[in-house]
Amino acid sequence: MVSVVDESVTSDSPNSEAKSRLKEAAGLIAKIVKFHPRLFVIAVSGAALFAVCTVASSIGLRWVIDEVILVRFNENRSDAGALAIGSAIIIGIGLLRAFGVVIRRSFAGKTEWRTAETITDRVLDHVVAQPVKWHRSRMTGDIVARCGIDSDASVSILAPLPFSSSVLVMMVVSAAWMLYVDITLGVVAVCVFPILLSLNIGYQRRIDRYYNQAQKELGTLSEAVHESFDGVMVVKSFGAEQRETARLADITARLRDARIDAVAIRSMFEAMLDAIPTLINIALIVLGALRVKSGDMTVGELSSFIYLFSLLMFPLRIIGYLFSEIPHSVAGWRRVNEVLSEPIGSDPALKISRSPQDVAIQIENLSYAHNHGSKVIDGLSLKVMKGETVALVGATGCGKTTLLHLMTGLLEPSGGSISVGDGGVALVFQEAFLFADTLAYNITLGAEIPAERQERAIDIAQCREFVDALETGLDTTMGERGVSLSGGQRQRVALARAIAHDRALLLLDDTTSALDPATEAKVINNLRSLAGRQTVLVVASRPSTIALADEVLFMADGRISDRGTHDELLRRSPKYQELIRAFEDDRQKK
Amino acid sequence: MNEPVGRFTTAKTINRGFGVAPALSKGIGVTFVLAVVGSLARVVIPVTIQQTIDKGLRPGDVRIGFIVQMAIVAAVCVMVASVALRQAVFRLGVGAENGLYTMRVKLFEHIHRLSLADHNDERRGALVSRVTSDIETLTMFFSWGALVWLLDGSLMVVVACVMLSYDWILALVAFAVSAPLYFVLRNLQRRLVAAYDIARENNAELLGSISELVAGTETLRAYQAHAPMLRKSKQAVRKRADAQIRAGVIGAFLFPSGEVFAVFTIVAIVCVGIFRGVDSGLTAGSMVGFVFLTYRFLEPIAEFTEVVDQTQTAVAGLRRVLGVLDTPIGPPQASNPLALPNRDLKIELKDVSFSYSSRLDTQDDDLPVLRQINLEIPAHQHVALVGESGSGKTTLARLIARLADPTIGSVSLGGVNLKRVANDELRRRLVVVPQEPFLFAESIAHNLKFAAPHAEREELENVISKLELTDWIRSLPDGLETQVGQRGASLSAGERQLVALARAALTNPDILILDEATSAVDAIAEVRLAKALQALSLGRTTISIAHRLSTAARADRVIVLEHGLVKEDGTHEGLIAKGGEYAKIYAQWLSATSSQK
Repeated sequence: MVSVVDESVTSDSPNSEAKSRLKEAAGLIAKIVKFHPRLFVIAVSGAALFAVCTVASSIGLRWVIDEVILVRFNENRSDAGALAIGSAIIIGIGLLRAFGVVIRRSFAGKTEWRTAETITDRVLDHVVAQPVKWHRSRMTGDIVARCGIDSDASVSILAPLPFSSSVLVMMVVSAAWMLYVDITLGVVAVCVFPILLSLNIGYQRRIDRYYNQAQKELGTLSEAVHESFDGVMVVKSFGAEQRETARLADITARLRDARIDAVAIRSMFEAMLDAIPTLINIALIVLGALRVKSGDMTVGELSSFIYLFSLLMFPLRIIGYLFSEIPHSVAGWRRVNEVLSEPIGSDPALKISRSPQDVAIQIENLSYAHNHGSKVIDGLSLKVMKGETVALVGATGCGKTTLLHLMTGLLEPSGGSISVGDGGVALVFQEAFLFADTLAYNITLGAEIPAERQERAIDIAQCREFVDALETGLDTTMGERGVSLSGGQRQRVALARAIAHDRALLLLDDTTSALDPATEAKVINNLRSLAGRQTVLVVASRPSTIALADEVLFMADGRISDRGTHDELLRRSPKYQELIRAFEDDRQKK
Repeated sequence: MNEPVGRFTTAKTINRGFGVAPALSKGIGVTFVLAVVGSLARVVIPVTIQQTIDKGLRPGDVRIGFIVQMAIVAAVCVMVASVALRQAVFRLGVGAENGLYTMRVKLFEHIHRLSLADHNDERRGALVSRVTSDIETLTMFFSWGALVWLLDGSLMVVVACVMLSYDWILALVAFAVSAPLYFVLRNLQRRLVAAYDIARENNAELLGSISELVAGTETLRAYQAHAPMLRKSKQAVRKRADAQIRAGVIGAFLFPSGEVFAVFTIVAIVCVGIFRGVDSGLTAGSMVGFVFLTYRFLEPIAEFTEVVDQTQTAVAGLRRVLGVLDTPIGPPQASNPLALPNRDLKIELKDVSFSYSSRLDTQDDDLPVLRQINLEIPAHQHVALVGESGSGKTTLARLIARLADPTIGSVSLGGVNLKRVANDELRRRLVVVPQEPFLFAESIAHNLKFAAPHAEREELENVISKLELTDWIRSLPDGLETQVGQRGASLSAGERQLVALARAALTNPDILILDEATSAVDAIAEVRLAKALQALSLGRTTISIAHRLSTAARADRVIVLEHGLVKEDGTHEGLIAKGGEYAKIYAQWLSATSSQK
C-alpha cells in the first residue's frame, strides 16, 4: 500500500501515468467482472432501476404540483382522486427507487466479495504449489498480503462501479427528459452535468494527492515512533528524552502541515462544490420563470427540474470516489498478478530416488549453494543402513539443516544424487511449527492416523504428562486463542507428529536441544527402542545425546569429514574436540 | 489524578482533552456561528422556489423583475454562506490539527519519561498505538464526525426553523412522520456495526489461516499435508466473504431508508396541506418549499447515526491517551539538583530493596526483586555481578544507573543521593551498554553521535582508534557512514555491540555498566569485542552483569546474587578458595567445558 502512495506522489508525469493507469483499470475491470458476471449484471440492473426511478420521481412530483397542489391553492379546487393518484405515484416510485438501491448495493457487495474469494483462492492454489525455494526467497508477510489485502484491494474497484454506471444512466435520462420538456433548460443542463462531473473528479484527484502525502508522513511518523520507543533504553541511558521528543515533534509537525494543507484545499472545494450547483439552480429558476411566462412550461415542470437537479448533485459529488479507488485497486491487482503469472517451480522431492534394500540413505557427491553463490554443501557423500541411529555433528552454520532439507526433498541440490529407502521420511524441524488448531490436528496434520498410533507417538515423544494435564486432552486448541506450550513441549509435539506419521526414516534437526537432559535421554532411548524398524538421524550438540547414537557423522567444510563413535572421534580429532567444547561454552552462556 | 480517567464520563473526558490541547476548543463558538451561516446556503433553493411560486408566478401575473431581484439576493446569500462554510471547515480542521499535534508531542515526552517497567515488551505496542492509531481516531473524528455534528447539526436547526416559520402544523407533521427514521436507522446501524465486527473477525481469521498456510509451508510440505490446510484456508475465505456480503445487505437496507421516509413524509404533508386548504394561510409555494425542505431535513439523519459510533470510538481513543498521560513518569527529575564531585565517584547502596509491583494497579505483590542490599563500590573498581536469571543482578545495575528508584533505601554516587542528581549530569558520568544494543536506522556516525550530538568527526575517529576499531570501520563499505539498517540489522550481533561500546566511550563516562551479551558472536568479533572492552573500561568503574564466568574471573571483585540478596562478595580467587556457591558454579562450568563426560 505504501508503494501506491509513493507512485502517485512522486511520479514525474502524473498525466500520462494516470492515463496508463486508467487503461490498466479498464483492463482490470473487464477481467474481474467476468468472474461473476450474473451478480454484476443484477447489480447494474438495480442501478439502472434506481436511475430511471430518480428521473421518474421528479416527473411524479411535477404531476402532483400541477394537478394537486396548484389546483387546490390557485384554483381552490379539491380533487380527492388526483390526491390519491399523486400519493400513490410518489410512494410507488419512491419504493421502487429504494428497491433499486437495495438490489444495487447488495449485489455490488456480492460481486465484490465473491470475486475477492475467487481471486484469493487462485492465489492460494498458486502459492501452495510453489516449492520451498520460492517461499524462502520471499517474506511470509508479503505473500500473505498478496493473498489477502492485495486481492481485496484489486476488487475494491467493483463496489462503486454499478453506482457509477447508474449516475451515467441518470445523467443521460434526465438530460433527455429535460430536452424533451424544454429545449433551453435542457441544453443548459446538458452543458452543466459534464462540467460538474469533471470538477468533482478533478477535485478528488487533487485532494487525494494531499491525502497521500499526509498518509506518507503518517507512515514515517509511525516508523519513527516504533523505533524511538524500542530504543527507550538507549534514549534513557544517554539522557536524550528531550532530543528524541524534539525529533518526533518535527516529524509530527510535517504531518500536521500536510494535513492542514489538505484541509485548506478541502474546505475551499467543499464550499465551492456546494455553492456552484446552488447558483446554477438559482439561474435555472430565473430561466424557468421566463419559460413559464411564455407559457412553454408549467410551474410543476419548473419545480421538478430544480428538484431533479438537486437530486443529481449528490451522486455527482461521490462519483469522484470511484476515481480515488483506481490507483489502490490497480496496485493491488499488479501485486496479485505477479504471483499468478509466475510459473510453478519444480518439486525437488520428485528427484529423490529409491535406495537399494537395507540402505536407508545414500547420498553421492551432493552439493548445494545458496542463492548468493556460496557453497554450503560441497561433494558430500554418505550412506546409512536401515535401523541405525546416527548423530550428525558440526559447527553452527556448517550446513546440517540444509542437508536434512535436501534429504526431505524441500530443497533441490545443485549437484549429486540422493536416494532414500521405502517408507518415506519424517523431518522434525529445528523450530517446531504448530498450527492454531487442536493438538490432534497438529499431530495428524489432517492425515488418517488411527488413535492408538497417535497415543503411542505421544508416549514415545514424552508428551503424555502435559497432554493428560490438559482438560480437553488432544482436542485442546493451540496458539493465540488456545493453550500456549513451552519451547520444549512444542518440540515434543512436533516429535510426536513425526513418530505418528510412521515413516521409515526419522530426521531430527537439533530437536531435543529444547529439552532438559533427562527428558532428552528418555526420548532418544524410546526412539532406539523403535530401532530395527525406523532409521534415526539426529543433529545433536550435547555429548549425552551424541553418546546415544550408534555412530557419529562429523560434518565440516560442506562434507562428512569423519565418522565413528563419539569417543573415537574425541580421541582422534582435535577439531571435533574443540567443537564439543565450544558447544558447552555456548550452553553455559545461556 | 485521584480518579482514573477510565471512569470519566464522556463530557469530562472531552473536557480533559481540551485541557491537554487547548487548540481543540479555541474559538469553537465563532466556528459554530460560521457553520450556521454556512448552512443557510442549503435552504436558499427551497425558499427561492417558494417565493417564486407565491409571489413571482401567480396565475396570469408573472413578475420577472421580482424573480430576478430575488435571485440576486439568493445568489449573494449563497456566496456569503459559502465563504462562511469554508471558514468554518478550515477553522475546525486547523484547530484539530494543532491540538492533536500538541497532544502527540506531550505523549512523546511523557512516554519517554515513563519508567522502564512501563516499557516492557507487552506494553510497547500499546504505547505506540496511543500516539499513532488512537490519535488517528481523533483525526478521523475531526475530519468527518465533528464536521457532521457542526454542519449537519446547524443545517437541521436552520431547516426546522424555516419549516416552522412557514407553517407550524405542517412542520410538526413532517417531524412526527420522519421521527421513527431515527430509530430505524439506529437499529440498522447497530446491526451493521455488529455485522462488520463479525466480518472483521472473520477477516482476522482468514489472514491468520493464510499466514499459517504460508509460514508452515515447509512443515506441510515435509508431511505432504497441504490439502487439508488449504481447504481450511478456503473455508475461511468463504466465511469472510459471506460475512462481508451480509454486512453489505444490511447496509443496502439502511442506505435508502431515508428516502422511504422522505416519500411518506412528503405525502403526509401534501395530504394535510390539501385538506387544510387556502384558508389556513398555506400557499402553493410553501407546499413546494416543504417538499424540498423535507429532503434537506432528512439528509443529515443518516449521517448522524453513523457519527454517533465514530464519536464513541474517538472518545475511547481520547480516554486511552489521557490514561497514558496520567501514568506517573519513571524516576522523577531532581528539583534542586546537587553537583557530583569532579572525580572518584564512589557508588554506595544503603538498605536497598526493590519490587516491581510498586505500581498501584497491579494486584499481586510478588517478592521483592532486591532485599536489603548494602554495597560500596570504590571508584575504578571492576565488578562482576553473577547470579541466575531472576536473581536481581539486572535490577541492581538499573538502580545504580537510576533507570529506576529503589522502593526502600538509597543509592548515592560520590556521596550524593541519586535522586538529587540532575539527569543530564548523571547521563554524562554514567553509561549503560545494554545486552542487545539498540541502533537507529541511520549511519554508524549518526548512531555514535546519539551519545554526543555535538561531537566532531575527529572525536569519533579518536574514540574508534582508542578502541582499536579503525580496521573494522575501514572494512565497512562506507566507513563511518555505513548505514546500519533497521535496528542495526545490516550489522552482525557482534558489530552492533562494537558500535554500542564506541557510543559509550564517546561520552567518556566515569562509570560504565555493561550487560553482557548472551548471543553468540563469531571468533573474530569476539576478539575485537574483548579488546575494545578492555580499552573502554581502562580507568573507569565498571560493573558487568556477567553471563560468562570467564568475565567474572577477570574482574577485581565478584558479587554473587541469589533471590535478591548478596550471597557472596569477594575476589574470584578468594571466593574459589572459600568453596561456597561461586566455587560450585565455577566448578560446574569447568567440568562442562572439558571434553570429558
